[in-house]
Amino acid sequence: MLKEELIKKSPVRVLERGIEGGLKAGNIGVIASRKGIGKTSVLVQLALDKLMQGKKVIHVSFTTHTSYVISWYENIFNEVAKRKNLEDYSSVHDDLMKNRVIMNFNQEGVSTDQILKSLRAMIVDGGFDADAVIADGFDFARADAGHFSQVRAFAAEMKLEFWYSCTMTGEEPLLDKKNVPVILRPFLDEIAVLIVLDPKAEYIHFVVVKDHGRMNPSDLSIKLDAKTLLIAEA
Amino acid sequence: MAFEISKMRNIGISAHIDSGKTTLSERILFYCNKIHAIHEVRGKDGVGATMDSMELERERGITIASAATNVQWKDTTINLIDTPGHVDFTIEVERSLRVLDGAVLVLCSVGGVQSQTLTVDRQLKRYHVPRLAFINKADRTGANPFRVKNQIVEKLGLNAAFVTMPIGLEDKLEGLVDLIMMKAVYFDGEGGIDIRYAEIPAHLAADAAKYREELLDCASMFSDELAEAYLEGAETPEMIKAAIRKGTIAQQFVPVFVGSAYKNKGVQLLLDGVVDFLPDPTEVKNIALDLDKNEAEQVVVCDAKLPTVALAFKLEDGQYGQLTYVRIYQGELKKGSELFNTRARKKFKVGRLVRMHASAMEDISEGGPGDIVALFGIECASGDTFCDPSVNFAMTSMFVPEPVISLAITPSDKKSSDQMSKALNRFTKEDPTFQTFVDPESNETIIKGMGELHLEVYIERMRREYKCEVTTGMPQVAYREAISQRAEFNYTHKKQTGGSGQYGRVAGYMEPIDGAVYEFVDSIKGGSIPNEYIPSCDKGFKEAVKKGSLIGFPVVNIRCVINDGASHAVDSSDIAFQLAAIGAFREAYEKAKPAILEPIMKVVAEGPAEFQGNIFASVNQRRGLITASTEEASFCRVEAEVPLSEMFGYSTVLRSMTQGKAEFSMEFLKYGKVPTSVSEQLRKEYEEQRRKEQGR
Repeated sequence: MLKEELIKKSPVRVLERGIEGGLKAGNIGVIASRKGIGKTSVLVQLALDKLMQGKKVIHVSFTTHTSYVISWYENIFNEVAKRKNLEDYSSVHDDLMKNRVIMNFNQEGVSTDQILKSLRAMIVDGGFDADAVIADGFDFARADAGHFSQVRAFAAEMKLEFWYSCTMTGEEPLLDKKNVPVILRPFLDEIAVLIVLDPKAEYIHFVVVKDHGRMNPSDLSIKLDAKTLLIAEA
Repeated sequence: MAFEISKMRNIGISAHIDSGKTTLSERILFYCNKIHAIHEVRGKDGVGATMDSMELERERGITIASAATNVQWKDTTINLIDTPGHVDFTIEVERSLRVLDGAVLVLCSVGGVQSQTLTVDRQLKRYHVPRLAFINKADRTGANPFRVKNQIVEKLGLNAAFVTMPIGLEDKLEGLVDLIMMKAVYFDGEGGIDIRYAEIPAHLAADAAKYREELLDCASMFSDELAEAYLEGAETPEMIKAAIRKGTIAQQFVPVFVGSAYKNKGVQLLLDGVVDFLPDPTEVKNIALDLDKNEAEQVVVCDAKLPTVALAFKLEDGQYGQLTYVRIYQGELKKGSELFNTRARKKFKVGRLVRMHASAMEDISEGGPGDIVALFGIECASGDTFCDPSVNFAMTSMFVPEPVISLAITPSDKKSSDQMSKALNRFTKEDPTFQTFVDPESNETIIKGMGELHLEVYIERMRREYKCEVTTGMPQVAYREAISQRAEFNYTHKKQTGGSGQYGRVAGYMEPIDGAVYEFVDSIKGGSIPNEYIPSCDKGFKEAVKKGSLIGFPVVNIRCVINDGASHAVDSSDIAFQLAAIGAFREAYEKAKPAILEPIMKVVAEGPAEFQGNIFASVNQRRGLITASTEEASFCRVEAEVPLSEMFGYSTVLRSMTQGKAEFSMEFLKYGKVPTSVSEQLRKEYEEQRRKEQGR
């Protein structure tokens, strides 16, 4: 399969159709679930889809070491390339990874200001003209109050899409009556797209909780394979 | 045999520069009663540390060459191999790692895990060297060994726990707690030579219990006996030590020691740790290649009765003449015995045999398996294997990277000229990453190496050790050329005007390949080129790939295939077919879309987070690709891939940009295509240079 075909047939297209054509620059999207369901895998697939299209991605990790992040990308890219029989594999790989930069922060000692300052430095000083930021491992319970409004303003200024993962922890119930993760309720206004991963017997479902202006529209017709953690059409 | 093998350790000390490695080595020698006074690395008395035998090192305060030193700690013999800390000398580090059975990774209590610590640790992992960590300089302002230990776990990904913890820090460092014995340890007397055990101070009891628990949790993984005893509260120090030893040798655990070599605190406990936790030579598996069996792998066994196998890992031109350091892997090395150098395919007789102490040596008559000794007057290169003539082994070839930078040097007078060739001859033997040749066109002597500093050090050494003054040209990057698509050729070389003529026709194609520098394939059916001339074609292509037509650098990753041709009964000859192949190569080369490749370095820069923007910008300006950045509290670390040609003088730039607070390391990563604009510039320069030379 050629790269172009791979982009066209990507299940991410289905995801985008389900959320009014995608997240769009200047917005914040969140993939939420309990621990160990496959959020990182989803984020990395979203990032790889952007990279395939020649876009630039900053992967911000708050927990894992750079080398682990790299192996996530390598594993998923290899798996997809193998399944789809991607042509010109190694040069596509090199082109993709050139457009990805990993930034690692320790949420504890680093403020929102400092994170945004570093992102700005990467984009402006580093000449890395990013299209999207993937933020994995951010602890929403410890987010400072202004974090998301600051990030949203930054995203608008820099024309960035921001995808976060959010681990739902704490006391049951984790979701409120409107399906919104309790932990995200204070930030809901700043979040444009909110998707909750809901594990069922065989597959993990994508439940769209918020889609730009709408609350609880219909579910996406994609699922996450519980074994491979790859997104597939349902 | 001189020693019992279980009481022998071959260890190295690996570290980031300035983490106090040389001071630590010095203290180890002192405590082992080999030297009488402790000199500081940058000592006021001008004597300098004993291990830094080279004057240059003394001046720079760093250790460049590795020397093996034999010391005695209690009833154990330790061969201490001092390894250089700077990344430009990694071949030295890697060569010493090859002969080590264990290592002490030294870290600074203030600086923690730094870029070179990561490089060094990666090397230790590559050679499967079990290690202890020593967090040094606990007396320094800002010392925080606890943070450094966490970095060992997080940044180096090692399973580590304290075996000693400090009593007080910075200028209040009083002593240590031994977490196995659960005793406070103080170092009294001159040079901290008298060890005094006492009760753990009350205010540290809780912390000590906590770290002991951490240690026991780790150690229990390696011993069921300890795990059970620990549950019942019946663990003994012996059980704990045995479990730690097992985990350490399996490279699944790293015991962490704390101390200050400078303040004479903790070195003796570290030495006990070397004995208790690092393997003896029999506990390490070493593999040789049997050259008689197509390099089949063969385990060498640390047994005196088996045929001798030894590796020459270090040459030194010291005050005593040429010394060759060897590690004996199997059998014995006896004075007067005959050995076989399997690379040079030459037999030689073992003359004088010595054991090296810090700056003195001891004549010995034999060395046993596992030992490190030095030979006098042996003609060899480092990396050579010496065997008993009954076997033909080579110790696994060491990974030798290709040089990435070159420099033209010209001796300033006749005397220097003689000395220069002597010096170069010596250096190239000592260091396989340092190469030299005479450029046939400019007639200049070119030296090649792994980085600017690498070459600078050798030029310094020429000046000091050989009194040889040279002027140097601009550093040159080792570019390569490579084709990007298949192209056909069909070329006739013909010169048949009078006298004996030349005739040869060669047809086929060239194509890019991965993983090999050059390949020649003969797929001629029916003998259109006589068999005797096939090697001539190969030779011709080999000659042609030495210099690509873009900028005159070697062509790599290419396969030349011949599938047709023609010859002449009288006029065809070896040289005619060589020239035909060269002509064929030139004919097809342009069509095969050649590109220029340049060495890309993996660069790691670290410093205070406030300079992150500057570092990003500096990488960006250098055609670099930032691959990752890490920020923690006020500290940042930037990883990038940057072309070597853009890295000249970077240390100065980085220093001035960050008020000297940031530092960087780099190592060769890969060859990558240069962008069109740079390629055009390089080609223009090459054309101009050629025109000038032709005009001359």
